[in-house]
Amino acid sequence: MSGECHISSLVVHSRSDRVQAIIEGIRSLEGAEVHGGADTGKLIVTLETDTEGQVVERINTIQLLDGVLAATLVFHHFEPVQERE
Amino acid sequence: MDVTRRTLLKTQAAAAAAAAAGVSLPAEAQNIATGEDIRLQWSKAPCRFCGTGCGVMVGVKDGRVVATHGDMQAEVNRGLNCVKGYFLSKIMYGGDRLTQPLLRMKNGEFAKDGEFQPVSWDRAFDEMAKQWKRVLKEKGPEAVGMFGSGQWTIWEGYAASKLMRAGWRSNNLDPNARHCMASAAVAFIRTFGMDEPMGCYDDFEHADAFVLWGSNMAEMHPILWTRVTDRRLSHPHVRIATLSTYEHRTTDLSDMVSIFKPGTDLAIMNYIANYLIQTGAVNREFIDKHVNIRMANTDIGYGLRPDHTLEQRAQNAQNPQVSHPSTFEAYAKLMSEYTAERVSELSGVSKEQLEALAKLYADPKIKVMSLWTMGFNQHVRGVWANNMIYNLHLMTGKISEPGNGPFSLTGQPSACGTAREVGTFSHRLPADMQVANPEHRKYAEKIWKLPEGLLPAKPGYHAVQQDRMLNDGKLNAYWIMCNNNLQTAPNTEHETYPGYRNPANFIVVTDAYPTVTAMAADLILPAAMWVEKEGAYGNAERRTHFWHQLVNAPGDARSDLWQLMEFSKRFTTDEVWPADLLAKAPEYRGKTLFDVLFANGQVNQFPLAEIDPDYENREARHFGFYVQKGLFEEYAAFGRGHGHDLAPFDVYHEVRGLRWPVVDGKETRWRYREGFDPYVEKGTGVQFYGNPDKKANLVAAPYEPPAESPDPEYDMWLVTGRVLEHWHSGSMTLRVPELYKAFSGAVVFMHPDDAAKRGLRRGQEVKVVSRRGEIRSRIETRGRNRVPPGLIFVPFFDASQLINKVTLDATDPISKQTDFKKCAVKVLAVASADVGGQQ
Amino acid sequence: MRRGIFAVLVGAGPLLAAGAILAQDAPRLRGPEPFTKETPAPPMQRQVTDDMRVGRNYPDQPPVIPHSIEGYAVDLNANKCMSCHARKFTEQSQAPMISVTHYQDRAGNTLGGLAPRRYVCVACHVPQTNAKPLVDNVFRDMDAITEPERQPARGRH
Repeated sequence: MSGECHISSLVVHSRSDRVQAIIEGIRSLEGAEVHGGADTGKLIVTLETDTEGQVVERINTIQLLDGVLAATLVFHHFEPVQERE
Repeated sequence: MDVTRRTLLKTQAAAAAAAAAGVSLPAEAQNIATGEDIRLQWSKAPCRFCGTGCGVMVGVKDGRVVATHGDMQAEVNRGLNCVKGYFLSKIMYGGDRLTQPLLRMKNGEFAKDGEFQPVSWDRAFDEMAKQWKRVLKEKGPEAVGMFGSGQWTIWEGYAASKLMRAGWRSNNLDPNARHCMASAAVAFIRTFGMDEPMGCYDDFEHADAFVLWGSNMAEMHPILWTRVTDRRLSHPHVRIATLSTYEHRTTDLSDMVSIFKPGTDLAIMNYIANYLIQTGAVNREFIDKHVNIRMANTDIGYGLRPDHTLEQRAQNAQNPQVSHPSTFEAYAKLMSEYTAERVSELSGVSKEQLEALAKLYADPKIKVMSLWTMGFNQHVRGVWANNMIYNLHLMTGKISEPGNGPFSLTGQPSACGTAREVGTFSHRLPADMQVANPEHRKYAEKIWKLPEGLLPAKPGYHAVQQDRMLNDGKLNAYWIMCNNNLQTAPNTEHETYPGYRNPANFIVVTDAYPTVTAMAADLILPAAMWVEKEGAYGNAERRTHFWHQLVNAPGDARSDLWQLMEFSKRFTTDEVWPADLLAKAPEYRGKTLFDVLFANGQVNQFPLAEIDPDYENREARHFGFYVQKGLFEEYAAFGRGHGHDLAPFDVYHEVRGLRWPVVDGKETRWRYREGFDPYVEKGTGVQFYGNPDKKANLVAAPYEPPAESPDPEYDMWLVTGRVLEHWHSGSMTLRVPELYKAFSGAVVFMHPDDAAKRGLRRGQEVKVVSRRGEIRSRIETRGRNRVPPGLIFVPFFDASQLINKVTLDATDPISKQTDFKKCAVKVLAVASADVGGQQ
Repeated sequence: MRRGIFAVLVGAGPLLAAGAILAQDAPRLRGPEPFTKETPAPPMQRQVTDDMRVGRNYPDQPPVIPHSIEGYAVDLNANKCMSCHARKFTEQSQAPMISVTHYQDRAGNTLGGLAPRRYVCVACHVPQTNAKPLVDNVFRDMDAITEPERQPARGRH
């Protein structure tokens, strides 16, 4: 385990007729959650990953989903994972 | 980084992105849900498990129970629940709930040796009606039977009793409460002429001493135990004395612990009686004014099959219930045999301990509450044991007043409310009336608007007798509702299972889950449970407690009430009543049993409009009238004005239960005592008005040994029972993962010396063998129960270790209640090749 | 409203088909098949002792105990549980403090310590074994009903 936790968020601009499929595609990614924005086609997505590399990897994957116009990283934060509280 | 921190960061992250995109996410930006989304509908209900009757608040969201907690307003528990009660939310959601009727079939037809196939309710009832009619025609009403439950709601028990007795004219109706409460119920009537305790739970806050006779309240009545321990720890003068055949969590918190040899509790009570007499502690004035002395018939056998040697040898096996008028002097003489020396030797309890115990009863300044459950009731001399404890309280006058009294705890949530008060025993009618009494039958026929002479006079088969008669092919159409008798009856391999699989018999099981019993049936009917229906229970302190239907049952599952009433539509009076009786009531000709029993102008008198609009009520919607209210009000007519007064139906939906008799809107906490009980006449002080002379009966009896005791071959006592985390046969609690993981299977609690002597290690697989049968289990030498050498304890909740294949079907000959606490077994190591992977 | 945006299709818990109901997968629930068959005793289960807190099904559920309590005295002289979970010991033990509800007596008065009616901890709090559940429980968490899109994915932590 890397000992880090990366939390990031992005706006995924989507074609309105593909929104549902895109949401499903994003949901299938490990650590990805969709928080809303379907009605405007601008999906609010958070990623929870172990490394920075995975953040980039996920964004690339999302950008390649059919109907995605753009995926923009807005927020990124990481901190070390302690064994237990 | 913990989960909360991650969530918080993600919330911030999402909010930042939303702000960047100009997307409005007001709720998403908060890390907690608010407003309408988190609103739950909360309603009251009694707990589904033991006889304590705790109040529960049930939270519902979108048609599902999502939370439960102890009801702060409930007097019984004031906000507390035990671990089972706290997990009530999950009992209805076992993944294998039964949702459609299942019939054993081959080639599209019913076949006793067929496989279970899903069928419609119509198909299920068609087959059932065909079988019932066949049996009624070939053999008559005595070949039809029903085994009900102390977990039935009040109206379910009442509807069942009506259908069995008035519909099919058979008294072969008995509840599983026979296994649980019969000794207490019979002794109450024998002593006081009326069933159920005189006192109530308020006694817990008034007593100076608690004497627990064979009761492990810490596990079996945990919330009442909180009231006992609260009293003890808050008031240093208070003492707890516990008598038991082994040590357990209750003895951990007791001041005095007496471990006695199984069955010798009778001798200990007679010793205390003797001590009271010898030391002048008897309240003679109380005895003279309020008590009759009677001598019980002795040598009464063990309720085994009549051809058993023990029955042949017993002098009074035919008339065990008889007692004769006697005198206090004769009683004193009988008791004088129970000296400290003799009883100490017999019981294994030291003379000092015996005397300390006796002093609690003798000292007039100490208010004593005696408590018992299965230790006394599941006892081949259970009625005597109950009588003997009443004798101690009657002799000292310590009865029917705050803090002073004998208190019979109950096992099931409505053992009192349904099994006893409604009259679902094979010998009873509502409100303590008896089928054998012509006046009582006449009274019932009048209330039920039935032709005179319709109700059968002969008491029906009791629980153990039903199994024997099924086995012998004399009881052939049999409906089991709301219990798991193949797991919980005694000597199941020889007496219960063969009857279910007897080709002459058709066995129907109504349950929410596929239990051991259901799996051995011919037809399984899926049941709605707990808050999936409107219900009422009566707890151990005479408290009647209602609840509303809060959610719908899954699939085609329907309540027992719906099943009983719907099935009654399939019979006409001409098919089941003799012509001479019908001639007396020609207006009933051609009517269905539903018409004459339920659409009789009384049960159907309350319209749907009277149902609380906030709640669903499937039965009422189906039948077109407020079924529960109609049944309750008709039933209540039996007891009003007779010391069993119940409040009007609607009141119970408002309050957290009321203790009957409810007179002029007020409940009764202590019966038989002036100032507390409105039925006691002014100036009399005390009246035991259940008996015609208003006196209680002190019934004297000796010590007699158990039916079976260890010998050189079967060298151990077997005691069976429950554990805190599981309810009876575990059909609900084993399906709640947290409860299953808290106590994950039955074990054999054994003394370390006994294990060492047999070369057994903790966790090793063993066989527990009796003359009836055997099971395989595992040895536990540590943990919550610490048994003495020569005795093992095995809980009965685990269907992979059916300990009732081992137990003996001996009963108290008077109450017919099985003794699940005493038989002889041997414990053997399973050949090492068979031993599984103990870690 | 939120639910409307991305309703996750949880659906009604699938009701098992009759065939599945009758599969003989759990002798602890349904007994041996047939009833008369001798059944080996399943092994005894090991206690969970990892000290990891387990989430609650609903707010009023008493938390389960994530450690062994074997040999713990809860008698008239001592209450072993309180030697870590009492307020004054939680700093050194790092154990969760008993709930504030545990300071209230039957009449609702708040006391200076554990209310005597709460003395028997194991009436409500139970340790756990690592036994696998015998059958699914399809109880649904209220959060899953109110805001299905916000549920932490399973098995991630």
